[in-house]
Amino acid sequence: MGYLDKDKTEKLNQLKKERGIGNLGDPKNPFDYYAREYGTVPQDTARAPFQWVSEVAYKNIHRIVSRGYDTTELMEEGYGIVDVLFVDFQSRIPTVEEEQMLNYVMILALEDGLSMPAAISRIVAQSKTFLTQACGASIMAFGHAYGAFSAFGNRLETYLKIADEQQLSLTQAAELLVNRHGADESLGVSELMLKDPAAKRMLARAEKLGIAGRNIAFLKEIATAANQVSDQPLDVDMLGAIGATMMDLGFTPEATWVVIAVTRAYAAGAHYIEELEQGQFTRWGQELTPVENYEGPPDRPVPPLEDRHQHAKAAVCKTPQEWKQRFESMKSVSGSGFSVIEEIEDPSKKSGIKTVGKL
Amino acid sequence: MDRKPKLQRKTSISYKTEEKTVMRGYNLSDLAEAGYSFSDALFVLFQNRIPTENEEKMLKYEMGVFLEHSMSPSAVGAIGVSAGRPNLPVTVAASVSTFGGVHGPGAAHGYMLNKYLERAQKEGKTVDEMAKTLVDEYLDSKRPVMGMGQPQHIDSDPRAEPIHLKQEELELKGVYLEFQRAVEKYFHQRRKKEGRSYVGVNVVGSGNTALMEIGFSPNAGWCIGSVTRGFSCAAHALFNMKKGRAWGASRNEPMVQMIDLSMIKYVGPEDRIVPKQEERQEYAKKQKAEGEYKKWVI
Repeated sequence: MGYLDKDKTEKLNQLKKERGIGNLGDPKNPFDYYAREYGTVPQDTARAPFQWVSEVAYKNIHRIVSRGYDTTELMEEGYGIVDVLFVDFQSRIPTVEEEQMLNYVMILALEDGLSMPAAISRIVAQSKTFLTQACGASIMAFGHAYGAFSAFGNRLETYLKIADEQQLSLTQAAELLVNRHGADESLGVSELMLKDPAAKRMLARAEKLGIAGRNIAFLKEIATAANQVSDQPLDVDMLGAIGATMMDLGFTPEATWVVIAVTRAYAAGAHYIEELEQGQFTRWGQELTPVENYEGPPDRPVPPLEDRHQHAKAAVCKTPQEWKQRFESMKSVSGSGFSVIEEIEDPSKKSGIKTVGKL
Repeated sequence: MDRKPKLQRKTSISYKTEEKTVMRGYNLSDLAEAGYSFSDALFVLFQNRIPTENEEKMLKYEMGVFLEHSMSPSAVGAIGVSAGRPNLPVTVAASVSTFGGVHGPGAAHGYMLNKYLERAQKEGKTVDEMAKTLVDEYLDSKRPVMGMGQPQHIDSDPRAEPIHLKQEELELKGVYLEFQRAVEKYFHQRRKKEGRSYVGVNVVGSGNTALMEIGFSPNAGWCIGSVTRGFSCAAHALFNMKKGRAWGASRNEPMVQMIDLSMIKYVGPEDRIVPKQEERQEYAKKQKAEGEYKKWVI
């Protein structure tokens, strides 16, 4: 393979040039379209051949090694899945207490009734598909509102750093955080657990095991600060308890996010199975959307195609003023996207959307 | 048969009864019977309106040119997922999900344009003046200007300028194209002045400009682009599933496979002894105290 030879390339390009192809020969193009090569790019032999680069693990014919530890040897020596999470994400063997704490967290994170991951898993199951597809879909439920462990943790890290740099106490840093962000979905403090002691029990266990550190202490200060500015009582919720505990166990916000999301996917598999056992599949076009739920324009006749010019008005705006007028008017078209604002960033290092909300 | 919806929601997009499905007031069957296209229907879906003929042509062009891109993150995602042989929709879900903050960031480009157009309107500046402001602010803060540059098409994205030209040919030149062109002008000027190489507009910069000019919001445009790409990614995945080898690691293939063992480069800690359980606590505490592990924490 490789490029087409010169003679054939020139003949083909000449033929195309004579025939012309839309706007491709337009001089405004920053290239001569009819001088372009054909065929594939030859292999680059000047550089090293392709390799998958990883510092997490390698394998050869006979062994699988994570962070230097042969995984079979780990199991033979009595370690388990919870230990390997520390090895994979932190490159270390956990203490006995740390292993106990992560087990506790994962059990609490496993199941939450008909929560969003379960509901998604069940809906996917109704289309009559593989279990893995339903579990995969359930993982997609984790965002920056539901299961916001990345957003929560990154905020914690940010304000702890501010506390260090500005020599603030945890109390002062917590007040600053609450004043700036309020009681949003990733605060870790809410009204969700006022009658359920699970979050408090988790923090108590962390203290008993000697795990509780700066993150849990900061979370408690955030709860105090949030209560001071709230009209209703608030307390640490499961997002906050799990998030802070995981970070005191040494997990990064992103690692916490995926560990918890995948943990819940086990339960999502059970919901999938139960849905199959109940035997109700949904067919294409089966579900109705009652007219009572519809808030759009009333029924109207479709204009004849030949009359489209009488009904159609172009969206093109010639000035920023015209543009602004149209932009504002489009906000009333629900579902058009004009009343939404997001900051979407590369999530490689830190979690994706920085802000999301209505304009 | 139970036909009740599982999720109770109010919606302005559509309703469905036993008799008909109505989107934004138009009976879908009537819309199709009248000769409108799928592209027309996308305007009704996202904008609640029938487009002009030229707007419909622009959308059809943009979707057609964007549909296939051979080996980009979306296709690679679909192929990678297909190696384990799940159901085909999973590979497509993966490919559409590759569209994020770097690959095909259509919404990010749209939000950028809207933000600066809003400033032009508020500050009483021309589109041209605001484009220079945008370029200077982005490059001064070392942020990539959305819509510029493509790692494979290094001298110019083959789809980009033709989209601009088509938009002009269809007489759909408005504030967005004027702004995008001005952004490109000042971007090129600045890089040239700094002695840096030429970086052309990419398909997001041109395609998304066209989509927004014909009235789509940033997210609606992103949806159209990324879902359109799903079609070709499904084809890439299906080809690999039907005519390729599962797993991508066979030693019998004439070419080294994607996850052949020789493809792994390991740069982590050296092989080491797993401590016995009776050694564990002392070992773990020592390891934690020494802190060497911290450089591997991710």
